[in-house]
Amino acid sequence: MNWAVIQATLPTFIEATLLTVRVAAFGIVGALIVGILCATITRAKLPVARQLVWVYVEISRNTPLLGQLFFLYYGLPKLGIVVDAEHCAVIGLTFLGGSFMAEALRSGLDAVEPIQWQSAQSLGLSGVQTMRHVILPQATAIAMPALTANVIFLIKETSVVSIIALADLVFVAKEQIGSDYTTAEALFLLVSCYLVILLPVSLGAGWLERRLRHATFGD
Amino acid sequence: MRHSGIELLFQGQNFLRLLHGLWVSASIALLAMSLSIVLGTGLGIVMTSKNRVVKFVTRAYLETMRIMPQIVLLFLVFFDLTRYFNVNLDGWSAAVVVFTLWGTAEMGDLVRAAITSIPKHQYSSARALGMTPWQVQRAVILPQAIRRLLPTTINLTNRMIMTTPLVALIGVVEVLKTGQQIIDPNRFAYPDGSLWIYGTVLLLYFAVCFPISRVARLLERRWS
Amino acid sequence: MSVPRRLILGSALASLALAACSGSSSTPASSTGGKARTLEEIKSSGTIRIGVFSDKAPFGYVDAEGKYAGYDVIYAERIAKDLGAKVEFVPVEAASRVEFLETAKVDIILANFTVTPERAEKVDFAGPYMKVSLGVVSPEAAAITAADQLAGKNVIVVKGTTAETFLEKNHPEVKLTKYEQYTEATNALIDGRGDAWVTDNTEALAWAAGAQGFTVGIASLGNPDTIAGAVTKGNSTLRDWLNQHLVTLGEEKFFHSDYEQTLKPVYGDAVSADELVVEGGKL
Repeated sequence: MNWAVIQATLPTFIEATLLTVRVAAFGIVGALIVGILCATITRAKLPVARQLVWVYVEISRNTPLLGQLFFLYYGLPKLGIVVDAEHCAVIGLTFLGGSFMAEALRSGLDAVEPIQWQSAQSLGLSGVQTMRHVILPQATAIAMPALTANVIFLIKETSVVSIIALADLVFVAKEQIGSDYTTAEALFLLVSCYLVILLPVSLGAGWLERRLRHATFGD
Repeated sequence: MRHSGIELLFQGQNFLRLLHGLWVSASIALLAMSLSIVLGTGLGIVMTSKNRVVKFVTRAYLETMRIMPQIVLLFLVFFDLTRYFNVNLDGWSAAVVVFTLWGTAEMGDLVRAAITSIPKHQYSSARALGMTPWQVQRAVILPQAIRRLLPTTINLTNRMIMTTPLVALIGVVEVLKTGQQIIDPNRFAYPDGSLWIYGTVLLLYFAVCFPISRVARLLERRWS
Repeated sequence: MSVPRRLILGSALASLALAACSGSSSTPASSTGGKARTLEEIKSSGTIRIGVFSDKAPFGYVDAEGKYAGYDVIYAERIAKDLGAKVEFVPVEAASRVEFLETAKVDIILANFTVTPERAEKVDFAGPYMKVSLGVVSPEAAAITAADQLAGKNVIVVKGTTAETFLEKNHPEVKLTKYEQYTEATNALIDGRGDAWVTDNTEALAWAAGAQGFTVGIASLGNPDTIAGAVTKGNSTLRDWLNQHLVTLGEEKFFHSDYEQTLKPVYGDAVSADELVVEGGKL
């Protein structure tokens, strides 16, 4: 390992870390919003909207982000719409992540036994109250590990944005390996940067999962 | 003379090549996923252990696999195993190993979460009825856990299929790389060929992933 | 369900250690496994493995029948023929070229490999078989006609090509946007995502001739770079054979005929063979 190389390339990696964090953060927030929206619509059994959500979820989770980005970036300009690379990346990540979040939330909601809904209702709670105080806390607790996995997945999925020429972490590492052949240093920096981003996320998620667990019944 | 690009699909063996590429992607992902489900279920059950050492080791494995970008794992397994241990895996096998290592970790965490999400009173009740801990796992906990696991496992399978394009780096030509191979030599004659080929690649991914999601959803409905 | 913090710290350290482990990887001195095969070993095995690009026409690509083709590939096939061996092509990427050589997963790399002193520390280059001059494509409306106009501009390049290496070394003031594929680079240029595209001048001239509103403002940027085959560091028997082989090929003007077969149909008469081809392994 050559520390001089690491020192020389560190600024590039820091820049790439910031890009990765920026794209991932906006993408994940977007995905959560879309996910909650979709899960709610499915749950509420709204007639047309529900079918639309179904179509969206199936397209989004059954095609790769790479292809989605390709069409956003290279396809849309054919229709006269040019969106810059970073916005494309955020839109793409939101589009992909939305369905993963929706599915995770849905499985959480489904896992709450129906008897709880009925019990809450018979105790005189309104629909919204039941949702807020009984169903959601349990559903979130059950969905937490899947949500965490999704968040980490989406952060790592940002590595796909190099298809639209954004210099994310994997991109700069591959670049360094491809042109200077300092593979060791590049991979070391790559893992370190991911560690800096993902460790707090993983830690925070574990803590949150344990906090929420208190909400489940019989534990 | 410029053409639209859809003809590219029907030139020579192009469409068959894409299908072959799809088979490469799918075979890596599905084999790795099958292995991950078996190994991950074991790991997940172990992870619910109260033993601190066991918890430490399994947690460390999970975090490592999650944080490590797959491209680094590919480099480690494909190149460094050869360099340091003289283990010369071909690209396809190396890819299966890498995806299994990663998939086992993710599956393990999902299984652990599913098991611990079953209310504890069920465990206590079953024990009180005189069942052994193993019987409780098999007859009470696992059936419920599996139902909760299905959607997330399907998510993971699809994620794995979609991560396969990375393996081009170690010389494995999967469906996306095949697409790029078709687009490139035709860039002068078919400037818009890339949209058609990428569109086809997208459809092919969909053709593999969609039935998997469907089957999962049907099973889920039947079991509920 | 409590996970002590030190567990996570521990795993963090473990993953760093793993990375560091892979880290020491690029020092060839420490390699134990995957030894490069000598000339004799290749001959007696009857197969030679050659790493080529599979998506960089007309140098290394795969045709509609699924067969490898291109300028590099014809050279590779000739090497195999004269060694009396069968050739096995391995598709490589810019980011994996050297790793394939270092772990001896291929015997030779013929993948549009631009010779630089830094790279020569990691691999052993044989004599060159091609030289590349760079061209700058820009919109006619805002044509770039001199190198100093590139400063501060957003310049498009394709990864793993000579243009990328050249600009990073000689024009660090230029902001590069790097695409994986030629078609992505040209699409980006058409969509106005860059001020200019720097690439091999053959590619530049051929593309600009067919595209509307674009011109090659600079047909030859800097000194030509050379392209050469590479073998694993220290594999002298194979390299010496390659150099000797280049001399023999030079006598029959092999690369001129290679050019006629592979490059001319794509690039036409915009450039002559002598501007590209290197015979005999020497400039």
